[in-house]
Amino acid sequence: MSYQEKNITVSLASYLLIVGYYLVNLFQMLRGGELVSARLFGLWATVILATIIVNIIASILTNILLTIVEAIKAQKYEEPRFIADERDKVIELKGIRASYIMFSVGVLVSVLAFTFGQPPLVMVSLIIFFAIAAEIIGDISQIYLYRSGF
Amino acid sequence: MEKRQVRNNIRKLRFYNNEMTQEQLAEKVGVTRQTIIAIESSKYSPSLELAFRIALAFDVPLGDVFSYMSENESI
Repeated sequence: MSYQEKNITVSLASYLLIVGYYLVNLFQMLRGGELVSARLFGLWATVILATIIVNIIASILTNILLTIVEAIKAQKYEEPRFIADERDKVIELKGIRASYIMFSVGVLVSVLAFTFGQPPLVMVSLIIFFAIAAEIIGDISQIYLYRSGF
Repeated sequence: MEKRQVRNNIRKLRFYNNEMTQEQLAEKVGVTRQTIIAIESSKYSPSLELAFRIALAFDVPLGDVFSYMSENESI
């Protein structure tokens, strides 16, 4: 597994955790009939911040851990060689395209939900869900391309 | 239009260059070993620049490394 694959796997795991946390909280609110803006705004803020912070921390930790593992394997410290070549960039672009398609579909579904009488809070909740889901789809498509040997 | 595919002789050229490893070739041309594997198995077509770098690494013309042939044609 290359460095890029490991990095994407960590990113995917963190997005899955965040989307899990978001959905659990959202369904608890819906079941309790407490879809009030104050609590929902708090949840959105937590999820958006977590998406940014967790990903940065996960990326830094992956770098450090991989450098340590490589050094242990080679029995000496070597300058980390985490190059992203043209194939990595093509795979990344394909992942971004998959993300955008997913997000576009998500925005359409959210707007349709609003058009058919759902409150604006549901629309924005759906948009946030689809934004994270789009990242997950992007990561999965990148891992698929790496695994299939593209 | 006839369906064609980019084929290559990288495996053969590595063999004739003292069994150069994929890792060594990757280092010479500045890509990862996974990219060399993908090119060698014709799953990924490299950019023109990378194709020239690979040809330079073997010190042969580009046409000796890559060919553009129909799918049922053999190298």
